[in-house]
Amino acid sequence: MEKLSLTVNGEYIEAEITPQTTLQKFLHDNLGLTGTKEGCGEGLCGCCTVRVDGKAVKSCIILALQMDGKNVQTIEGLAEGERLDPVQEAFLDHGGFQCGFCTPGMINASRAFLDENPKPTEKEVRHALSGNLCRCTGYNKIVKAVLSVDPPKETVAK
Amino acid sequence: MKVKNEHEYNDEYQYIGKSEHNVNGVEKVTGAAKYCSDMELPRMLYGKVKRSPYPHAKIISIDTSQAQALPGVKVIIIGDEDICPHRFGAGVADEYVLARDKVRYVGDAVAAVAAETPEIAQEAVDLIEVEYEELTPVFDGDEAFSKNPPAILHEDLKNYKTLRSVPPRYEENRPNVFNYFRIRRDFDEDAFKDADIVLENRYEVAMIHHVQMEPHCGIAEIDGTGKLTVHGTSSKPYGMHRDISECRGMPSSSVRVIIPTHVGGSFGGREPKAEQIAASLVLAQKGYPKRPVKMWFTREEQLSTCTTRARYIVEIKTGAKKDGTLVANEMRTILVGGAYAGTGYLTARNGSFGPAANYKIPHFKLDAYGVYTNQRMAGAFRGFGNAETLWGMEGNVDMIAEKLGIDPLEFRRKNCVDEGDLNAFQEKMHSVGAKECLEAAARDIEWGKKSEPRAPHLKVGKGIALGNKYSIVPTASACFVKVHPDGRMELRTSTVELGQGSNTIFSQMIAEEFQIPVSNVKVWNPDTDTTPFDLGTASSRSTFNMGNAIRKACKDAKRQLFELAARELEANQADLETADAKVFVKGSPDRSIEIKDLFIPMVIGGYTLKEGGEIIGKATYYLPGEIPDPDTGKSERPASFYMFVAQAAEVEVDTQTGQIKVLKIVTANDCGKAMNPMMVEGQQDGGVLSMGIGSALLEEVLVDNGVMLNPQFADYKIPTTLDCPDCDNYKTAIIETAHREGPWGAKGVGEGTMVSSAPAIANAIYDAIGIRFHEIPMTPERVLTALEEREKSGQIHFGGKYPEPAFKASGN
Repeated sequence: MEKLSLTVNGEYIEAEITPQTTLQKFLHDNLGLTGTKEGCGEGLCGCCTVRVDGKAVKSCIILALQMDGKNVQTIEGLAEGERLDPVQEAFLDHGGFQCGFCTPGMINASRAFLDENPKPTEKEVRHALSGNLCRCTGYNKIVKAVLSVDPPKETVAK
Repeated sequence: MKVKNEHEYNDEYQYIGKSEHNVNGVEKVTGAAKYCSDMELPRMLYGKVKRSPYPHAKIISIDTSQAQALPGVKVIIIGDEDICPHRFGAGVADEYVLARDKVRYVGDAVAAVAAETPEIAQEAVDLIEVEYEELTPVFDGDEAFSKNPPAILHEDLKNYKTLRSVPPRYEENRPNVFNYFRIRRDFDEDAFKDADIVLENRYEVAMIHHVQMEPHCGIAEIDGTGKLTVHGTSSKPYGMHRDISECRGMPSSSVRVIIPTHVGGSFGGREPKAEQIAASLVLAQKGYPKRPVKMWFTREEQLSTCTTRARYIVEIKTGAKKDGTLVANEMRTILVGGAYAGTGYLTARNGSFGPAANYKIPHFKLDAYGVYTNQRMAGAFRGFGNAETLWGMEGNVDMIAEKLGIDPLEFRRKNCVDEGDLNAFQEKMHSVGAKECLEAAARDIEWGKKSEPRAPHLKVGKGIALGNKYSIVPTASACFVKVHPDGRMELRTSTVELGQGSNTIFSQMIAEEFQIPVSNVKVWNPDTDTTPFDLGTASSRSTFNMGNAIRKACKDAKRQLFELAARELEANQADLETADAKVFVKGSPDRSIEIKDLFIPMVIGGYTLKEGGEIIGKATYYLPGEIPDPDTGKSERPASFYMFVAQAAEVEVDTQTGQIKVLKIVTANDCGKAMNPMMVEGQQDGGVLSMGIGSALLEEVLVDNGVMLNPQFADYKIPTTLDCPDCDNYKTAIIETAHREGPWGAKGVGEGTMVSSAPAIANAIYDAIGIRFHEIPMTPERVLTALEEREKSGQIHFGGKYPEPAFKASGN
């Protein structure tokens, strides 16, 4: 067992885990944050995408121990209390999900991308989400949802 | 865009026909949604499966001693009399939970282990030693179908139990045929006599996978009374219930199947054995208490051993007059199935419905077969055989139109069925939006307008295709609608929310019936102890069938409600109405009573009625239809309804690389009254952009000697955001052709959404480069090979064993 300390959804956590524990397993099994789905376990589907220090990371192909001292945000940490994140709102408004299994990863990838590029073109959105597979939606309403998210006001002011 | 037909709707509805938010949406976007694979139970064990490395082999011996000795291993099962007393199957009981005596495909389950961790279970599986004696396998569809196949999968097939309601039909001289269906409409040796042109062709489609994002999962537990509870990802809770009780010989009342509110997609492919194996691993434990077992397949297991869409062979001969009138059509289709028939037994038959109902064809002959091969099961897949058979028909029709010098759109418009026409079953068609679909698709693709290629080596072209998808009979759905003392409603239904949005649509229906907000309706997840029978979440049948059951159950609930309220209001029951959780006298809203006041608050807590227990409306919607005559296919009602679809595509083919880019694709779907347009579009999007484009251009399960060569997402390619055209270059049209028996005129949508995609794209490719593809997927490699072959020999047809003639002679 190895010691690990990190921040998950704003909460400081110390844990003892086996070295081979992936971040996905740590979040899903150890912390019960079941929104971080395992769709393939090989980093190819993107269902397990979380944000690490703001960047989208496929948590099934990264070891939890590599997260020492880092700030991890899962889907459960995205809404602020009762207030959904604008990306979550946009997915709801546009019907940007069906079965929902890829949705947490898709929303995390979108949030991380929009943080870097608040006013993207459709082409940029499609590139940013090309590592996240979805079988239900054909991505049409997902892309529309992401494009509909208004940039934060301070960004507009700049 | 909406096109109305002669059936006018009352657009004054409050809740139906509106793009309401998904009622489970907040759970899904916040990560709160729990799937079967997220479930953990106290002291749960984890299961793993030992699978066959051979496509066809006798099991000589199984040695589990080393595995048994591994610390942490709790139970190991093999296919013996104890664990696998009975076979089960959708129509042909041909499968044991674990193989007995012989294995029939690479991946066939021979043993299973439950252990403290998945890792220990896997280690134990690796320690199980199985001795096999290899047998000759058969993979090729034509060989398996032949009278002297290299291998016979089920020597004892004729003695297997079969389904009574829709029995399979075997072929005396073809031992691998697990179902045979035929249609004969006014067909004899003169059928093609009046035709000025006759085309015979062969088409094939590759084996593809559903790729549901949540891998299959089953969790079983048993209580002290012997009641077995199985949680799973099945789309057919009552089918699963039957399979489990049948394969174990358990009383059906001792089995409970629960499907969570959230299941990660189905598309027809939820028939693995995860649930059955988990149940067997629980039942095999000695002593008490028995521990729960979770059986969660890995992605590789799911891709390489679980049910697929079959390779299909479609041989078709079509004749038309010079003026473009279709005269006769003769077809032979072979569903190249797997080692076990599964729902494929029905796909093999029902894949013929699409061609039978697309066009007015006075002389029609069809022979449809399903055959066993040494591969994993091939069962239901969005479209249920019709995308495959229409791939052939829409290729042939396009070629005939071209040879006659008739515009392919015009040709289809001239021949497509319309209200009141007879289809090949000789059924009088009702609710047909074929023409409207064609017109909408043609408009949205700007048919007749040619795009300018961006470079000389980039060729562009447009294509169109027409399709349809029936929905199954015999069919039944039942439900309970409960009126709560707080005036809110609850629906108990066994329809599975697979992502299609059924919970939302049902909530809208009940909201409409009781005039309460959608959020005041709660839908239970399927649980065979508490939610009544439903045939299954398949065949695009839920809106129509469960929708009708819901309306009837609401009526029953209102009858009970009004009976109580009539006494309180001293009014006639017939004069009462309900809205906003109140019952009132029509026309005198002041004479009203709140629903909650019909209940009596009780000491200590809770509410009661003086009699009748609770207000629960219950109903069954049952449509037996008429099973087609086995020799002629004749039936007045072989289907509940038909959904029509037309799609058109514009493609760009790079003649240097063989890359095909879908520049634009449009779809028009006739779904009857759209209950929730946003969700109808969602079905269109997934059917066209993911599965339509994927099956046409990208997807193929590659197999060598029965071993899947591409069981990871790195190699099995489903479309990504980059494979789909931009949002502006994709258009959907909803055609609302009401069905007289549909709830509010609704039919269904999901299954019809990909049946025209591949032929529309292929016809566009022909328009671009002049090559007729006879097989999908149309990969860059195949495009380049086809272009090279044309260069060498002038041959414009490619793939699918072209030009092997389809029919040596026509006749009966």
